Amino acid sequence: MATNPMHQFNVYKIGPEIKINGIDLSFTNASLFMLISAISISIFLLLGTKDKKIIPGKFQLLSEILYNFISKMISDTAGKKAKPYFPFIFSLFIFVLFCNMVGMLPYSFTVTSHIIVTLAFAMFIFIGVTILGFVIHGFKYLKIFVPSGVPVVLLPIIMIIEIISYLSRPVSLSVRLFANMMAGHTMLKVFGGFVISLGLVAGWLPLTFSVALTGLEILVAFLQAYVFAILTCIYLNDALNLHH
Amino acid sequence: MIKIISLTTSLLLTLNTVFAAEAGMPQLDPTYWASQVFWLTIIFSAIYFLIAKIFVPKIKVNIDARESQIRKDIDEANSLKEEADKKLQKYNSLIDEAKLEARKILSEGRKKINEDIQAKKDQIEKDIQKETFGATKEIEKFKINSLNKVNVISEEIISEIIQDIFKEDLNKSSIKATVSEVMKERKNQI
Repeated sequence: MATNPMHQFNVYKIGPEIKINGIDLSFTNASLFMLISAISISIFLLLGTKDKKIIPGKFQLLSEILYNFISKMISDTAGKKAKPYFPFIFSLFIFVLFCNMVGMLPYSFTVTSHIIVTLAFAMFIFIGVTILGFVIHGFKYLKIFVPSGVPVVLLPIIMIIEIISYLSRPVSLSVRLFANMMAGHTMLKVFGGFVISLGLVAGWLPLTFSVALTGLEILVAFLQAYVFAILTCIYLNDALNLHH
Repeated sequence: MIKIISLTTSLLLTLNTVFAAEAGMPQLDPTYWASQVFWLTIIFSAIYFLIAKIFVPKIKVNIDARESQIRKDIDEANSLKEEADKKLQKYNSLIDEAKLEARKILSEGRKKINEDIQAKKDQIEKDIQKETFGATKEIEKFKINSLNKVNVISEEIISEIIQDIFKEDLNKSSIKATVSEVMKERKNQI
């Protein structure tokens, strides 16, 4: 059972069972690692904002780099109008990043490797952006499905494609993160298992792969958090500045 | 009671893991979907409010403070530079003025010295002229005096000669007249 590479994704209850209207809302290991990520973020940002120095210390510098990084990302993709959504993008990026990174620790649980978590994020962003679009532009927001400069003959087909692509946004957004995290962790586990089963004789090869994959997974953890945040920015941009 | 709870939870725990492992992908097991979404909502909302209300404004204040400090420093540096430039200009103008004044003093001194030399030269020339004039006069006087003396000496010599030759005195006035006549003739000859 321990060698099953999917075992690491199991969700189990910690503490008492909480049931409201027959829905199980118990505190699970997933919840625990969400909490650990949130607490890590708080500690990191607390250290980053503790001193208000003109010449920043290590943690202050890190938090300011993060701030500038996300600020630049938002202004580059969504422009000035997206300024009010800065805290949300910031939280989203740092939460996904910390969940991914905490998942890289051995024997820990990766919150973002569960489709339901990423789907919850993606649906929230999708619904939020759609509501925002209709609130800002009214029914003109439907123009997003009608690209300018398209021949009238092609318009119905293009519109269908645009609608499908718009509706598939939450799916692509959530599956991208979930699949990346799950595949990476499964692969790590598989290669780790090989090290044990091949032993001292040939175990070195999968061990080398395992080390290399760990590095790659850390990169992927950062990259996927970045991609998640920047795609959110792009969707937000569509809602704020109607280009089509 | 506690024992029972722990026993049941541990039992459930192992049962759960067995069930999930059998299912293949635990992600697709909907048992704890609601729980995950529920706790995600709570925890993410909490972290969002912490970040939005506390951390982001704090970081922003820090960054703004640094930027304003840098701007202030640059402004100060610029004003100091301007001041330094002004001082340098002042210094340069002072040096120029001093140079000009030095030149003026030099030229004035030269002029004065030249004037002095000229005045002294004039004075000396005047003196020389005066001296020359006095000397000429004296020479003239000497000339006349010597002529008169020559006359007197001539008269005396003549009277002595006459006495020696003729052993008698001659009328002095007549001798005088003769001498003067001869002298006049000589003068005319000369």
